[in-house]
Amino acid sequence: MIEVTGVTKTYSAQGSEVRAVDDVHFEVKTGDFVLILGRSGSGKSTLLGMLAGLIRPTNGVIRFNGKEIGSLSEDKISELRAKEIGFVFQFSGLIPTITALENVMLPTLFSPNGSGSRSEALKLLKRVGMSHRADAYPRTLSSGEMKRVAIARALINGPALIIADEPTGDLDVDTEYEIMELFRELNREGKTIVMVTHNPDLVPYANRTYGMDRGKLVQRSDPFPFRMVPEGGAQPHQSDRP
Amino acid sequence: MSKSPEFRFSRLVASSITNRPHRNVATIVAFAIIAATLFSAQYLTSGALQSLDAGMTRMGADILVVPEGYSAAAQTVILMGEPSSFFFNDSGFEQISKIPGVAKASPQIFIATLAGQACCSAPVQLIAIDPDHDFTVATWLKENPGVVMGKDDIIVGSMISGDIGSDLLFYGHTFHIVGRLAKTGMMGVDCAVFTRFEDAYVMSDESGVKAVRELTIPRGMVSAVLVKVDPGIVPATVANRIQAQIPGTKTITPNGLLSSVTGQLAAVTHLLYGSTLAVTIVSIPLLGFISAMVAHERRREVAIFRALGAKKSYVVRLMLTESFAISVIGGLIGIAAAAGILVLFQDFIAITLKIPFNVPSPLTVMIIGGSALVLTIAIGGIASLYPAILVNRSEPYDTIRKGEP
Repeated sequence: MIEVTGVTKTYSAQGSEVRAVDDVHFEVKTGDFVLILGRSGSGKSTLLGMLAGLIRPTNGVIRFNGKEIGSLSEDKISELRAKEIGFVFQFSGLIPTITALENVMLPTLFSPNGSGSRSEALKLLKRVGMSHRADAYPRTLSSGEMKRVAIARALINGPALIIADEPTGDLDVDTEYEIMELFRELNREGKTIVMVTHNPDLVPYANRTYGMDRGKLVQRSDPFPFRMVPEGGAQPHQSDRP
Repeated sequence: MSKSPEFRFSRLVASSITNRPHRNVATIVAFAIIAATLFSAQYLTSGALQSLDAGMTRMGADILVVPEGYSAAAQTVILMGEPSSFFFNDSGFEQISKIPGVAKASPQIFIATLAGQACCSAPVQLIAIDPDHDFTVATWLKENPGVVMGKDDIIVGSMISGDIGSDLLFYGHTFHIVGRLAKTGMMGVDCAVFTRFEDAYVMSDESGVKAVRELTIPRGMVSAVLVKVDPGIVPATVANRIQAQIPGTKTITPNGLLSSVTGQLAAVTHLLYGSTLAVTIVSIPLLGFISAMVAHERRREVAIFRALGAKKSYVVRLMLTESFAISVIGGLIGIAAAAGILVLFQDFIAITLKIPFNVPSPLTVMIIGGSALVLTIAIGGIASLYPAILVNRSEPYDTIRKGEP
């Protein structure tokens, strides 16, 4: 589904060049649940932004279903995002001026053939356990509820790929579990998921895990040289998919 | 079950406007001020010109001939209805009638009535007409065939109080109201009382006994001669001939009155247009600043739209539509408020500004309102275009992450 070959992203900061992503190669196959594990500033979110076509790589090639994203116009990339990619952000990313139901329906405005009818949106809200809050505005929802609505929104256009950026970063343990179970279900139904997180506890949910540090990406089955948490903190789980 | 309406672009725009009331109220007020100023300037100018046109049509004259030195007083009589009396020898009338290009000539005597008359709170202008030559009242009488102007009968302007059939007292002489002219907005007509020469002379003769102050109307003298020119003749040409051939006269043409009104209006319109320009000059950067602040505040929202698949053009369209909607709301409020104030205080405004004024026709008001609204929307569009483009330039993903708490 996604092939990343030699991708680098450099930024200029205070006169010097910073390599946020450094010569990354990896592949995501249809049906994968890929976890990219890394500390803050490791470059994992930049990589995610490039996979979605929101950030242009400085070097390298990213192919989505065989199409090179870099060769597409901005409008084509937008269409690709609207149709093929569902986004779940670290903090809900819900639009505050519209209801939960309308937030779910929002991506249908951007997709030429979006399937997001009102009934479909309600179905998705029901699926994530939020149908009773369909008319609620985001400010009245808890973090967990907002995350559920955001997941429903990511699904409305029927994307093949779901990109999730620290989706459990602001949740308590119980809610984190519920949200991750939701992702697991979606993956079992055939959705491909690429998730970045700094939380090693989520490793068991993925069938493929990568570590990222200072822009470098290493597959978890390889020797894994990065410390995921500061010295003295908890070490990441070493278990595989449960 | 949710009662949310179907979700469309229009709903996204509406929700963004209605759910951010504090931010949008300031913008709406700015648009309302711009629209109100633009509307007021055009409304006053149009109302004055329309009134002048209606007044001149009612008088039916192409040229007004008055004694030299009384041109300004005559203009004040016509435009503002401020009573005044002045005379020149009526032999001028005979001469005027014979000048080439003159189709009709009608002498009039202007008589300023006394203060404290039963009819009016202020002195009014009594205009005596010669029924044999008149075409001002005669035209009206033709349009109102049931009305006959006999002995001591008067026809009053729209602003003179008193019902048809009732009496009015001038210089102790009782007159009988037989007709009322339609409103023109020109005080010289609306605040005038039309009587016949012979009744005016009787009133004058009796005034020494009946009135608190004697009125003298010298026989063989008139105040003005109204002239209608032959079809196809330029009034200014005939006016020049009159002035050249009859010494001691001064001619006033509608164009001259127009210049006078325009001059009177100039100070106000300059003020209004100046304010409009100032408001526009200040408001474009101000609205641009507000739009830029709003755009900055909404960068994360825009970034989320982009991440969810919105094209840049969609985001620009969304922001411009919001600006359009806000400018329409503000514009309509401003125009409605200005129209309300102008209609409510139109007489006060006309008297204060010393201009003839009549409420423009509904079509004219719609055109004026429409043009004020279009200009307001254009100002809003210009002010919000750059911020809309600017907000699209930021990296959406960085913005989303930077905006996170």
